[in-house]
Amino acid sequence: MAAASRGGGGGGPKALELLRALPRVSLVNLRPNPGAKKSEKRRGRGRHGGKKSGRGHKGQRQRGTRPRLGFEGGQTPFYLIIPKYGYNEGHSRRRQYHPLSLQKLQYLIDLGRVDPTQPIDLTQLTNARGVTIQPLKRDYGVQLVEEGADIFSAKVNIEVQMASELAIAAIEKNGGVITTGFYDPRSLEILCKPIPFFLRGQPIPKRMLPPEDLVRYYTDARNRGYLANPSNIPEARLELAKKYGYVLPDISKDELFRMLSTRKDPRQIFFGLAPGWVVNMSEKKILKPTDERLLRYYSS
Amino acid sequence: MAAAVASAGLRRRPGGVWGAVARRLLQSQSRDKPETRHPQYPGIVESTEEYKFVERLIPPTRIPAPPKHAQYPTPSGWRAPSDTPPALPYFVRRSRMHNVPVYKDITSGNRRMTVIRKIEGDIWALEEEVKEFLTQLAGKPPPIQVNEITGSIGIKGYFDNELKEWLLNKGF
Repeated sequence: MAAASRGGGGGGPKALELLRALPRVSLVNLRPNPGAKKSEKRRGRGRHGGKKSGRGHKGQRQRGTRPRLGFEGGQTPFYLIIPKYGYNEGHSRRRQYHPLSLQKLQYLIDLGRVDPTQPIDLTQLTNARGVTIQPLKRDYGVQLVEEGADIFSAKVNIEVQMASELAIAAIEKNGGVITTGFYDPRSLEILCKPIPFFLRGQPIPKRMLPPEDLVRYYTDARNRGYLANPSNIPEARLELAKKYGYVLPDISKDELFRMLSTRKDPRQIFFGLAPGWVVNMSEKKILKPTDERLLRYYSS
Repeated sequence: MAAAVASAGLRRRPGGVWGAVARRLLQSQSRDKPETRHPQYPGIVESTEEYKFVERLIPPTRIPAPPKHAQYPTPSGWRAPSDTPPALPYFVRRSRMHNVPVYKDITSGNRRMTVIRKIEGDIWALEEEVKEFLTQLAGKPPPIQVNEITGSIGIKGYFDNELKEWLLNKGF
């Protein structure tokens, strides 16, 4: 009714003006839009006393005694003859990595939500609301995906949990640095929500090492793993540059080289904060242990 | 066996980089001047120097304003609104994330709609222009619904990319 009737008057609330002029709304004045209410089909009301009422002629169809869905007349049906296989077995226990496309990363940088002049961490991405990680739902972090590799043009120092080869190439082509690091679920929860953790008053724990099946991934320089031998990384960079055909920029000549080369220690969760420290947010202080045993434990 | 190989591989890392940063941060305590022993608990040392790293971790409370770029559209395809609002009887505000408020909607699996929200001023004038624009595109005028109270227009069918570009070209 609002779309159909158009009153006069200038711009603004025409509906309000109409309401003033028209008679009171009551059951007499109301009507649904044409085509909104379709009357139902009632069977058995036709000529010749309704006849078959859409049930067909004789047999199980008319008599309503058809067997269950999937029954094949006695032959072992399809759903029983195919053997079981554990395709989805343990699916709820598998590690999940939230995808982050290069397109989205570029969008976040363009809108100023993520600062490319500081090292980009999962905390920075979460604070910018670029990704939402749920460590309790078996999320183990973020994976960099190559959607948007052709438009990506930001020089960043980024740390993710997994990255595909083309994504690594796209970042290094623009003069950036990418590292892949592992966070166990407890460290991941602390990384994603640092403030509630600091308010708990517990010392920052040390990050655990990856499980056996991931050690291979993180010790490989081709994945820019954080446990890989640092001397293998320049070779891997050259190899990728040759493979994808771009000139590898020399980042040591860059003014932001210091920022680009900051990397976290394998046992560190946050940049600049070591494990074992307690953060006092109300007094803006950091408490550090001095006991020999604690120092040895936290630096092991 | 695999664990032994893995740990052997890790121990072989050159330069003793293992835990070096952590060790450096922990051992530098004795050299820091602004640190003080806690009066009540002598086993702890307090420091205010590294608090700047904590400040970096605090999430911002407000959505930051997008920085000025030299060229639009930016690499991700975002365009800023024009500095002076266009001389039209209506205005379409940007969303809180600074994007054009055109959205796709689908109900009961097959009812596709495009919604333009956040319209201020003369909505009916905008509705006329949208109708004209979409008649050119689609051949026939699509059904359009105007909601004056919320300032939104609903159009049958998916036209979100075309409408976004059209609104951006107008300067919204």
